Amino acid sequence: MKGHALGSRQRLQTPMRRYAENDPVDYVIVGVGSAGGVLVQRLARAGFRVIGLEAGPFWDTERDWVSDEAGSHQLYWEDPRVTGGSDPLALGANNSGKGVGGGSVHWASFTPRLHPSDFETYTRDGVGVDWPLSYDDIRPYYEQLELEMPVAGPAYYPWGHPHGYAYGPHPMGGVGNALINGCSALDIPVSIGGPVAILSGAHGDRPHCIYRGFCIQGCKVGAKASTLITHVPDAIANGAEIRERAMAYRIEVNANRRVRGVHYFDDDGNAHVQRAKAVIVSGYAIETPRLLLNSACPGFENGLANSSGTVGKYLMSQAGNVVLGRFDEPVRMYKAPPAHALTEEFYETDPRNDFARGFAIQTVGPLPIAFAKQMIAAKKAWGWGLRREMMDYNHWAAFGVLGEILPWDDNRVTLAEETDRFGIPVAHVSFNLRDNDKKLIKGAKDKTMEVMWAAGATEVVQEARYAHLVGGARMGKDPATSVVDAFGRSHDIANLFVCDGSVLPTQGSANPGLTIQALAARTADYLVSAGDSVFTSDARDPARPPLRTSLAPPATWGKGVPRLK
Amino acid sequence: MNGERGKGVPAELPMRDQPGYYPGFSTLGQRDAWDAATREVVVARVETPPPIRYFDADAMLFWTVVFDHLLPQNDRTPERRIPIVNLVDQRLRDDRTVGYRYADMPPDREAYRLGRDAIDAEARSAHDAAFVDLAYAQRESILARIHDGEPRAAQAIWARMSVHRFWQLIVGDAADAYYAHPWAWDEIGFGGPAYPRGYTRLERGEPEPWEVRERRYAWSVPSGAASDEVENVHAFHLESEQHRSHVKNAGRR
Repeated sequence: MKGHALGSRQRLQTPMRRYAENDPVDYVIVGVGSAGGVLVQRLARAGFRVIGLEAGPFWDTERDWVSDEAGSHQLYWEDPRVTGGSDPLALGANNSGKGVGGGSVHWASFTPRLHPSDFETYTRDGVGVDWPLSYDDIRPYYEQLELEMPVAGPAYYPWGHPHGYAYGPHPMGGVGNALINGCSALDIPVSIGGPVAILSGAHGDRPHCIYRGFCIQGCKVGAKASTLITHVPDAIANGAEIRERAMAYRIEVNANRRVRGVHYFDDDGNAHVQRAKAVIVSGYAIETPRLLLNSACPGFENGLANSSGTVGKYLMSQAGNVVLGRFDEPVRMYKAPPAHALTEEFYETDPRNDFARGFAIQTVGPLPIAFAKQMIAAKKAWGWGLRREMMDYNHWAAFGVLGEILPWDDNRVTLAEETDRFGIPVAHVSFNLRDNDKKLIKGAKDKTMEVMWAAGATEVVQEARYAHLVGGARMGKDPATSVVDAFGRSHDIANLFVCDGSVLPTQGSANPGLTIQALAARTADYLVSAGDSVFTSDARDPARPPLRTSLAPPATWGKGVPRLK
Repeated sequence: MNGERGKGVPAELPMRDQPGYYPGFSTLGQRDAWDAATREVVVARVETPPPIRYFDADAMLFWTVVFDHLLPQNDRTPERRIPIVNLVDQRLRDDRTVGYRYADMPPDREAYRLGRDAIDAEARSAHDAAFVDLAYAQRESILARIHDGEPRAAQAIWARMSVHRFWQLIVGDAADAYYAHPWAWDEIGFGGPAYPRGYTRLERGEPEPWEVRERRYAWSVPSGAASDEVENVHAFHLESEQHRSHVKNAGRR
């Protein structure tokens, strides 16, 4: 099959429209990842003239991706950053994507929803901060995006707001069985075969999963959802331009304190300016604050949208301790998706604990290099010891903690003195755990080890680490303590928006990908309702916009969900 | 000279073309079932390892000897050893990072330069000789001091560079190279690339028709190898503590 491949069967169908730089388009979206991919699709389908600027390449999945761990490093953000604080975060492959699809290209694609409690942790538990929206506000968008990806999972999911999935759960692999065995032995409910954004049956021109286990190396099959294959094709079909290898470094503001375009470097280092009537920053939790801070100018000396001083603050990562268990019988954990089964039984605050909030336990499936690094960390293995441990690779199973770390103002992104290859100051990330975080991590790690022992492991070890990034440009009702409102509109500049994981005020113990895409669809509905007033007026309509199912990619309907069309 | 590869390694570990418990298993033998892009990348890794262009001759020798300890291959027949220093050389030459630098670490090139100075200083302070000129067991013990985070020499260097992060860097680089190689996949029984064919036997660790079952045998490391020991550091639930802290002999089998 010829043409630009987006998975094994899908090909880009339409030539892409190109806009001139001096032609002010309606929206420039900086970053075509989980949020940017949904936004560019929604806005193009609604008739806006839209450009998605993406720092990385527009992948051809057959040509550019490989079924190989070491050969997939280009999917991750490898440009320089500095990471520090008392508990420095690993970045790069751990949590940062680059290229069209962004992090949704290399996520494991667990797609749990946040719980209703996540939107009011301060009211309920006296920690974190309440969101400017409720679970009921985002719920229609969860339901909508679960169909658009679509998500496979059990017919009844018991935690948070109970719900079910339209597409069936996946068959189990060795790691999933270990989690089921361990949870069952301890009377802990467990969700089997999802929720994951991986096809359990064919869906239009996307085939079902082949269980090869390379989810986080990019799904060549096209069974795992990424916005590259779920939303970008429809964006292009509706006249959007995806401008690849375009590294934004400054958003320009005019004398009326409105943004008027984005400055970026192409791959050869040539500077360009794209004019736009409005700008949406979707660069994720590190690049979004970096761009806002690097856009400082007269009148906005501390960076754009930063009158509160909140840009870059309240960065969060989740506890991601990996618990590894060795079993006498072989497991072969490289088979089947790493994201396969989970329990959210410990998600909520439990008064018997010495910490607020909670955690989830999920399957993970490290391939050999990742597993070697876990043996290096968890058992201090090296040399002959490392060789010997690795020879037992097929006997190990791995579970991941996903634990809620609270938002703190000194966990933040600032600008470092060093610069990248374009001369742009790079991000400095500082991360420091507080008492509640440390107690929660210990409790989560101990419980996960208990489950692994109960599963029948004869040896259990763990590696401490972190997963995901959110925060850094949080939403809120009060312009003095937040960057954007509940629709991602910046408090300071009426035609500047932020829409990505950085707007999350708290993070729960759910993988953030679904929530990020749901918020993007909600912001798109708001922008469609507001129409051209976004470009000319400072007026804000706080009313909840109607859910526009007509803006979904057409492949959403009539395939597996006939009752809904 | 004593820095010759393999010098001093006891002979009790027999050399094999393919160590590990999966005799006869060959991921490369399945290359026709892989997609073209993957086949090109993996076959090139085997057939054309990158030439040394960043390290000078002394640095090349030094790091070759160090990596022979971090990921020893004396049990592999010489023609079936997996290149490691070539891959590190290529990464440093391209100045390719993993996307971040710890605030208590210099850039990777400088870390390798400083680390070499520090390891040599450790060798000279302990044995009055360059690291590559030490006997096998002496080299193991010098590296074990770095592994344990307890170097005694070169304090000026370790004030500029975290010993724990440096250790993670070099052992991580060794693992990146070794376990990216199909011969290492054969050794550990990893099925390797699986697109477009996929895997079909997901449960109970069952092999695909083209995989083989495990056949274990007694396996012991050479005497004098400090790296035989492993620990279990699960008491340390925070990443920052985990790398700083050690449990002596806690996990030894």
